[in-house]
Amino acid sequence: MKTEISRRRFLQGSAALTVVAVSGAATALIEKEEHDKVASFGLRKTQWSDKLTEVPTLCEMCVNKCAAIARVEDGVITKLNPNPLFPKSRNMLCARGNAGIQALEDPDRLKYPLIRVGKRGEGKFKRVTWDEAYEHIKNKMVKILDEEKDNRSTIGYCAGEGMAEHTYVSFMQDKIGSSNFVNHATICLTTTIAGYTLTLGGYGQADLENAEYVIMAGANRAEAIVTPDTMDMFKRTKGRGAKLVVIDPRFTNTASHADKWLPIEVGTDLAFVLALTHVAISEGLYNKKFTQENMSDFEAYKKHILDKNYTPEWAEKITGIKANEIREVARDFMAHAPRSIYYQGRRTAWSFQDFQVRRAQAIFTAMGGGVDKKGGILFGKKLELGKHEIPSPSYFNAEPRIEKDKAAVVGTSGSWIAWRNTIIDGTAPYPVRAFFAYKQNPMLSVPNTSKTRQMLEKMDLVVVIDTMPSDTVMMADVVLPESHYLEREDPVKTFGGSEPSIALRKKVVDAKYDTKPVIEMMRELGEKLAKPLFEISKKYDEELQELIEDAQDEGGEEKVYKQEGYDLAEGYKHSQETINHHMVTSVYGEEAWKTLREKGIFYPDMDKYFKKKSVNTYQYYPEHKKSYSVIKGELDVEPYHDTCVDTKEIGVLKKEFRTATSKIACALYNLEKKKGVDAMPTWREELYTPTPQGRFRFITGRHGQFTQSGTSNNALLLDLMDENYLWINKRVAQEKGINFGDNIEVKSSIGAIQIKAYPTEKIGPNVVFFIHGFGAESSELTLAHHKGANDNMIIEDHYEKSFGSAAMHETIVDIRRV
Amino acid sequence: MARYGMALDYKSCINCKACESACKEENGILLGADKHRIWVGVPEMEGIFPNLSIGSSSYAPSQCQQCDNAPCQEVCPTNATYYDDNGVVRVNPEQCILCTYCMQACPYDARYIDDRTMTVDKCNFCSDTRLINGETTTACQATCPTKVRIFGDLDDPNSEISQVLRDREHYSLKTHLGTKPKLYYLT
Amino acid sequence: MNLNNILPYKKQTLKSFFSFEFTTANVVMFLVSIALVTAMFYGIGVYLAEGHHAYGVTRDHAWGLLIAMYVFFVVSSTGLCIMSSIGHVFNIEAFKIIGKRAIVGAIIMILVGFSVIAFEIGHPVRMVIYNILTPGLTSAIWWMGTLYGMYLFFIILEFFFLNNNNHKYSTIFGLAGLVVGLAAHSNLGAVFGFLVARPFANGPFFPLYFILSAMVTGSYLLFLMYGWRYKMKFPPEVETFLYTLAKVLGLLLAVLIFFEIWRMLTAIYGNMPERADVAMHTLTSANFLVGEVLLGMLIPFAIIIYSKGKAAKALVYASITGMVGIFWMRYDLVHDTQLAHMMPLKIKEYAVTTPFVEYTPTLVEWMISLGALGLAVMMYYAADKFFDLDHKSEESH
Repeated sequence: MKTEISRRRFLQGSAALTVVAVSGAATALIEKEEHDKVASFGLRKTQWSDKLTEVPTLCEMCVNKCAAIARVEDGVITKLNPNPLFPKSRNMLCARGNAGIQALEDPDRLKYPLIRVGKRGEGKFKRVTWDEAYEHIKNKMVKILDEEKDNRSTIGYCAGEGMAEHTYVSFMQDKIGSSNFVNHATICLTTTIAGYTLTLGGYGQADLENAEYVIMAGANRAEAIVTPDTMDMFKRTKGRGAKLVVIDPRFTNTASHADKWLPIEVGTDLAFVLALTHVAISEGLYNKKFTQENMSDFEAYKKHILDKNYTPEWAEKITGIKANEIREVARDFMAHAPRSIYYQGRRTAWSFQDFQVRRAQAIFTAMGGGVDKKGGILFGKKLELGKHEIPSPSYFNAEPRIEKDKAAVVGTSGSWIAWRNTIIDGTAPYPVRAFFAYKQNPMLSVPNTSKTRQMLEKMDLVVVIDTMPSDTVMMADVVLPESHYLEREDPVKTFGGSEPSIALRKKVVDAKYDTKPVIEMMRELGEKLAKPLFEISKKYDEELQELIEDAQDEGGEEKVYKQEGYDLAEGYKHSQETINHHMVTSVYGEEAWKTLREKGIFYPDMDKYFKKKSVNTYQYYPEHKKSYSVIKGELDVEPYHDTCVDTKEIGVLKKEFRTATSKIACALYNLEKKKGVDAMPTWREELYTPTPQGRFRFITGRHGQFTQSGTSNNALLLDLMDENYLWINKRVAQEKGINFGDNIEVKSSIGAIQIKAYPTEKIGPNVVFFIHGFGAESSELTLAHHKGANDNMIIEDHYEKSFGSAAMHETIVDIRRV
Repeated sequence: MARYGMALDYKSCINCKACESACKEENGILLGADKHRIWVGVPEMEGIFPNLSIGSSSYAPSQCQQCDNAPCQEVCPTNATYYDDNGVVRVNPEQCILCTYCMQACPYDARYIDDRTMTVDKCNFCSDTRLINGETTTACQATCPTKVRIFGDLDDPNSEISQVLRDREHYSLKTHLGTKPKLYYLT
Repeated sequence: MNLNNILPYKKQTLKSFFSFEFTTANVVMFLVSIALVTAMFYGIGVYLAEGHHAYGVTRDHAWGLLIAMYVFFVVSSTGLCIMSSIGHVFNIEAFKIIGKRAIVGAIIMILVGFSVIAFEIGHPVRMVIYNILTPGLTSAIWWMGTLYGMYLFFIILEFFFLNNNNHKYSTIFGLAGLVVGLAAHSNLGAVFGFLVARPFANGPFFPLYFILSAMVTGSYLLFLMYGWRYKMKFPPEVETFLYTLAKVLGLLLAVLIFFEIWRMLTAIYGNMPERADVAMHTLTSANFLVGEVLLGMLIPFAIIIYSKGKAAKALVYASITGMVGIFWMRYDLVHDTQLAHMMPLKIKEYAVTTPFVEYTPTLVEWMISLGALGLAVMMYYAADKFFDLDHKSEESH
C-alpha cells in the first residue's frame, strides 16, 4: 500500500498530471529534507470500495473514551468518525480523536520489546523477543524479592488512566502483591474527588445540559475537554440558557464563553468560595428547606463562616476580586438555584488548600439545593456489569506503602510526590527496588523531573509499558510495547450518569508491529513469574508455609498454589473478548452483546429510546427516563401552599446521601479528630504565600489539541500548534523588553527551562503560564523532541497534607530573556 | 438536485479545531499549516488585563463560503472551477492549470494548493467522500463537539437549515462583494 | 525552396555569429548575459525539482516575482509595439525609423515573458489544451492569454512583411497586432482590475495604467536600443527621432504622474479598509518612493524638462533608471494587490499577525526573473545578427 514517491516527481508541475490525487497512492510519503516531516501519513481519502467496513470503537487519545466509528478500507483506517449512539460523547470527536490515525501510524511508535544496553537514560536498547524480556524481568524480580525476603511492596508501580489500567493494576496489586501503587490521581483530581465525595457522598456529574448558572473555577472545559460537560456547556453560553462565571488567573477559551470572567490571585480560591458562602448566609439566600432536611451541621457551618468574618471585603484583599463582584455572583447563583453549580473541576492539584476549596464548593452548591436534582450535581445511574474475579494470594511479608504517613489520608493510589520523595530521601522503611510504569510518563507528568530521574536511577529494575518512546521509556531497563488502542480490545466499560450506557473498545485493525495488549502481557508475565515467585514466598512467608502444611493431606503445595491464586496468570487466561462476553451476557443476555459489538454501545431499550432529533442532536433517553434524582428519600411537602412560599421550597425530599451521616456533610469532625484535617473549610493564612513583588507565580494547564505529554509527537496535532509558549503579561513583557518569540529562561528553586515568549493581556502581571506536556527529551520522539518546555522541570514538588495531592501552583519563578 | 449550504452557530465554537482535523483526515489534505480547507478564526483580544472584552473573543470558524456567485469560478480560465448539480463550487483537478488566479479572486482565502496534484483545491462540502455516498453531512459538522454547524439543502423549505435561517438572525461574510455566500453565521 | 526567399536573413557562420567587437561594453554585456542565462537555467532546474516550494510564494501571496517579471516583459513588448506603430501604422514621420528594431524587440520580449510565466503556471501544457477545450470566457486570464497568443502571431507576421518590405501587409498586421495587443494588455490590467476581493486593485485603473505605462516602457526601451545600437553617436535622423521621443515620453510621464497622484489620493481618501491602508503602506514604502517614483518617473522626467528634450544621451542613461523603476512598478502592482489579509482572523496559534501579507522572493525566483533579461539580450543579439534591423531611408515612401 505504501509507495515512496519522490518529492521531485510529486512536486514537479506538469509531471504531476499522471499522479491521480485522490487514489490510494495518497498514502505515499513525501520526504521533506528541512521539515523532516512526513506530509501525508494517515491522511487519505475514502474510496468507498466494496472492501469498506465500519468498526465501532472507543477513543483513547485522552481519558474521555468517546465513541468512534472507524472507517476501514482494505485494512487501513481512512477516517475516525463520531459514534452518535453514545450518550457520553454525544456524537463528537475532537481534534485529538480525529488524529488517532496519526498516533496509530506514528513511525516513532514502540514496535517490539526492548532491553536496555547502554547506561540508564542513555536511550540505547536492543530488540529482544517477548520471552527474553519476560526472562529479564523474572531474573531481576527473583533476585530482588529473595533479597527483600518476599516483601512484595518492594516492587513499586504506577499507571496512567486507561481502560486496561485495571488489568495491569490488579496484576501488580493482587497478584504480585505490592502496596506501592501510585496512579495519576494525586497529580490530578484527588482533592476534588475527595472533597465532593466526603461532602455530598459522590463526585457526581454536573448537569450542564440543564444548569442555569455555572461557576467554573480553573476548570477549562473549552480546552481540557470533558464529555459530555464540554458539549453541554458551550451550546448554552453567551445568553443562550446558561450563565457562566469563569474564575481563572488567565483568560482561557472557556473564559471567552463567560458572562463574567474574574481573574483571581493564584491559590486564593478558598477565600473566594468562603466569601460567596458568607454572602449567601448573611443575606439568607440559601435554600432553607434543603439545608435543614439534608445538610448536617449546617448551623455550625453558618456560625463558623460568620464568626470567621469571611466577608467579600475580606476576600477582595486576598483574591483580588472586587467585593461587589463576589456579592453579585453569590446572589445570582442562589437566584438560579437549584439549577446552579459550582463546577467540581478535575485537575485540582493546585494549592495547599485544595481539599477545603472543593469542600467549600460542594457545600455552597448544596446550599442552593442543586444536588441530585436536574440542573445541579447528579449522581445518576450506572449499568452494572458481570463480575470477572481474579483470585489473589495474600502475602504475609508485604509491607504497607512507604509514604502512608506523609499526608493525613493516603489511599491505595498513593501520593505520587510523597512516594517518590520518600524513595530518594532515604526515609522509606524498606527499599523500593523495582518500578513498573504503565501508560504513564512520570518524567514529564510529576513535578520536579530531576527527582523522578533520581528515583528511577535508584531502581534495580524499571519496566515500562507504553506505545510511544516517552522520556520515561528512555529510563527503562525493559520496554514492553503495548498495542495501540485501535489494535486491541479493552475491558468493556459501563458509564454512569443521568443517561447511563455500556461501551466497548473493539479492535479495529490488526497490530502493525510486535506489540501486545496488556492482558496478554500480564498472562505471559504471570506464567513466567508464578512458580519462581511462589518458591520465594515458600521460603519466607510463614503463613504460606503453614497453609501448605495444613493442606499436606489434600494435595499440599500444588493445591495451595492453585486455590490461593499463586498462579499469577490466572484471571488473564481468557481473551479480552471472552471476558467481555461473559461480563455483558451474564447480566444483559446475548442480544445485548450482539448490539454492543455491532454498534459499540448498549443500554436497555436503546432501540426504543434512541432517536435522531435534528441534524446534530439525538435523544438517548426520553426526558422522564433520565436519572436526575436517584437518591431515595421521603417527601416533605409544605401542607399549606401559599404564595409566600418559594416554589423551590416545595417538595424537598429528605434524602439518604451516601455520606457517613446520610446528609451533606458541612463538618467532618472525624477527619479532624483522627487526622488533623479541618472539619470545616477554613482559610489558613500560613498555607498561602502571596507572589513576591517583581516575581511570578507559575501555573500550568491544558490545551484542546494535546493530552498531557501523550500526544506531543502527533503530526496532525502539531500542525495546529507547534509547541508551547510562555504567557506573560504584555505590559510586563514590554517593561522587560521581551517580544513575541524571544527565548526566555524561566527559573524556579528546582530548575530552569527555556521557552519562547507570548506576551498577552490574557494573563495578569504576576503570573506566567505555559501548556503542560511539551519539552520531551527523548530523541526517539522525532517531532516532540526538544519542542517547547517541560513544566515539571520547574514545578516544585509541593503537596498538600490532607491527601498528598500535588500543589502545582505554589511555585514562584523568575524570568529573563536569553 | 439540492442546493447545499451551511449555517454556523458560531457562538458555540470553543476553538478546539476538531473540524480542521476531521477535514484533513476526511479529505486527505496534506500536512502543513498552509494546507487547509477550513479553519477557526481567532480575534485579537481587546482590552487590558483584567478588563478584557469577552465580547471581542468569539471564535469565527470559517471556510469556503460556497458562493452562488463565486469570484473564483468567474476568473478560472479553463473552467476547472465549476458549480456542481448541488450548487457546490468544486475544482476539477484534471483541468486546473495552477495559475492560482482563483486564489487571488477568492475574498475568503478558501483555496490552497494540493502538492500532490499540483492543483488548487478547496472545500467541496465533502461531495466526493460523503454526499456521493448519500450521507448528507460533512466531516466538520459530524465531528464538532459543540455542534456549531448545520448542513443541509437550502432549496428544501423543510430542511433544518432552511428553518433555522427563517427563524434566526444571521449574517454572511463580505456580502457587499456580491458573492452570495451560502455560509450563514447565526447570531 | 530557399528560406531566404521567404524571409530574407543574413547568412551567418558559427564564427561570424559569435564574433563581435571587443569593446568593454560589449564584453561586459556578453559576460553579464551569459551569467544571467546560466542563473536562469539553474533556477529552472531547482524549480523542476522542487516546484513552487522553490519560490517564496505562499497561500496568501500566491503570485510572486515571476508574475511581476512576466508583466514586465509583456508590458515591454506591448510598449514597443505601440511606439513602433506610431510610425508605420499611423505614419507619424519622426517615428518611421523605428519599425523593425522595435517589432523584433516586441517579439523577443513577449517570448521571454511567456518563458518566464511557463515556470510560474503549474501546468502550461494543460493550459494550452483546456484554453481551447473549455474556455473560461469570464476570465481575464483567458482573454489575456488568448489575445496575447494572437498578438504574437500578428506581430510575427508584421515583422515578416516588414522584413520583406511588404508595407501593405505589414501595416495591416501591424494594425491588427496593435489592436489585439492593446486588448490583450488592457486585459492583463483587468486580471488585477477585476479582482473584487482586492479593493486596491479593483477598478478601471490598472487596464488604463497598463497601456500608459506600456508606452512609457516602450519609450525607455527605444532609448536603450538606439543608445546601444549607435553607441551614443546618433546620426541626425535618429537624433531628431529621439528628440521627438523625449517630448512624447515627457508627456506620457506627466500623465503617468497625474494618474498616480489621483490613484493614491482616491485610495487614501475616506479610509476604506483594504484600500486606504494598502495605499498608505505602498505610498510609504521604498519600493514605491525610490523604485517607482524616483527612478521610474522623476529622474527621466526631470532630465526631459531640464534639457527641453534635447539630452538624448542623458535620457539613454535615464532609461536605465527608468526601466528599474518600471520593474518596481510591476513588482509593486503584483505585491500590493495581495497585501491585505483576506481573512485576518485566520492565525495559527502562537503566531503574531502581520499588518500586511509578507513576501520575499527567493534566490531561485531572482535567478529565473533576472536571468530572463539575459535571455532577452541574447535573443536580441541573435536577431541583430540574422536580420537587418536598421531603417533604410530609401525604404520609406
